[in-house]
Amino acid sequence: MHGLTKTFGKVRAVDDLSFTVEPGQVTGFLGPNGAGKTTTLRMALGLITPDTGTATFNGVRYAGLPAPMRQVGAVLETAFHPARSGRDHLRVYCRATGLPVGRADEVLDQVGLGPAGRRRAGGYSLGMRQRLGLATALLGDPSVLVLDEPANGLDPEGIQWLRGFLRHLAHDQGRTVLVSSHLLSEVEQTADRVVIVGAGRLVRQGSLAELRAGSAGSVLVRSPQVAALADLLRGDGTRVELTDGAPDGVTVSGLTTDEVGRRAFAAGIELHELRSHTSGLEEVYFRLTAGQEQYAARTEQGAA
Amino acid sequence: MGTVLTRLVRAEWAKLFSTRVWIGLLVGACVLSGAFAALFTAFAGNPDSGLPPLDSPEYGQLAFSLATNATVISVVLGIIGITQEYRHRTATPTFLATPQRGRVVIAKLLAYAVAGIGLAVVVCAVTTAVVLLYGNARGNAPDLSGDNLRVLAFAGLALVIYTVIGVGLGALLKNQVGAIVAALVYLFVVEPLLRSVPATAGAYKWLPGGALEAMTATFQGPDLLEQWQGALLLLGYGLAAAFLGTLLAVRRDVV
Ligand SMILES: Nc1ncnc2c1ncn2[C@@H]1O[C@H](COP(=O)(O)OP(=O)(O)O)[C@@H](O)[C@H]1O
Ligand SMILES: [Mg+2]
Repeated sequence: MHGLTKTFGKVRAVDDLSFTVEPGQVTGFLGPNGAGKTTTLRMALGLITPDTGTATFNGVRYAGLPAPMRQVGAVLETAFHPARSGRDHLRVYCRATGLPVGRADEVLDQVGLGPAGRRRAGGYSLGMRQRLGLATALLGDPSVLVLDEPANGLDPEGIQWLRGFLRHLAHDQGRTVLVSSHLLSEVEQTADRVVIVGAGRLVRQGSLAELRAGSAGSVLVRSPQVAALADLLRGDGTRVELTDGAPDGVTVSGLTTDEVGRRAFAAGIELHELRSHTSGLEEVYFRLTAGQEQYAARTEQGAA
Repeated sequence: MGTVLTRLVRAEWAKLFSTRVWIGLLVGACVLSGAFAALFTAFAGNPDSGLPPLDSPEYGQLAFSLATNATVISVVLGIIGITQEYRHRTATPTFLATPQRGRVVIAKLLAYAVAGIGLAVVVCAVTTAVVLLYGNARGNAPDLSGDNLRVLAFAGLALVIYTVIGVGLGALLKNQVGAIVAALVYLFVVEPLLRSVPATAGAYKWLPGGALEAMTATFQGPDLLEQWQGALLLLGYGLAAAFLGTLLAVRRDVV
């Protein structure tokens, strides 16, 4: 994706967004609702024409791919004719792309929908609909998969299955997966990398480990001489705060546990507890996108 | 390109025949044209009905032109063929499979033109069967030859063109219910009004309905084009609808 921008009326849904998805990895595409994820993915797939910018797969625009379904599989929303069976739905796209119609049965089995394939898709549960969407994306056995909020509306069991399935597709079969979500927890266990957007702009991208490293840890200390300890540690770049609910405890940010221990020992201050506390990834994600959500909501209201 | 288009046309047929909508439309078309044929045969020559007698040439042409009563079904068939993609949001997977959207719409136009031929053949057969069998039962059926045969052939052609117009209209409006309602209001309210109001009656012959009437002209009626001119004009409407529909489907974002 390079410099993608799209404006709907007064809403700038995507604003000069650039990022790259690495092959053979699961990339989580994160951002609060309305951040522009769906619009970005639809632009990448040639369904929405960007105002500016381009999106390419190995250097080729989606519409320029010689056999798009064989290279890129996408699940954007559950879309099917309710009166058509799941199997017939899949066979339609086999015919359209010149794939053998037998692929329909293969992918139905792959997503665990085999027995329901001949039933009308209108009667499918939400989980089955998502599976049918996945099956459609897998028809051409593509090396790249693009999924927009695939876990939306799934029950915990379905989400569990989806996670395992995505891991299998990426890690066992070596496919490149780009999966969007507004919830970090949905991609945390599957994604190798994340791209975070807010209000149409890139907020952060990198591996999950890098994101974790960005989360400033703090050190919890308890001591009978807590006031002296606080005076000792307070200084350049170090913040010391009383710990809620523990009269003899302080929270220190900006120092490691080693350093706190060393200084206390040198000053002869007795310690009863010394441990590090790292804020979770969820907190980091929340901090990165908190302001953006309000911004997104504001522009939306401005347009209304 | 040729094979791609063949594939896409096949995919459209697979869509059409994998739900039961087509059966309903086909039955509806047969009932509509068959019922009119039966009704007209029953009252032919009846002085109160104003219909020409069974053995007159006027009646023969009128009877076979009744197949055009199914044009409304043709339009609906074409409309459903394209608007179902938007209604059920399958436009997304369809255009993902074939990002060259113009090809998809052209394939739809071809696939539905052929489906329209199928519909026309069945409707013409039903109309003919009713006119001949019921007419014979009443003692005198018109011949299926000469002018009569030509009227029937043009009626069939009109059914095909109306299907294409339906596809184009559907591509323009996208909304299935809206497009069907618009088509019904136009066919059953707007055109008859324009036809009967003296001030606009002159323009009527240039409308699809006027062209259709010219193609299957019976003897009395308003000022109309020649039969072949009507056919060309209607074909022009079909192509214009197809062209505009294709253009819009290609340009518009799929959201
Ligand atoms: N077709 C559209 N017309 C108008 N506004 C739109 C359209 N699609 C999306 N938007 C607006 O663009 C912004 C981004 O939407 P979207 O890409 O769906 O975000 P996300 O998928 O991250 O939730 C939102 O403010 C949304 O209201
Ligand atoms: Mg979205």
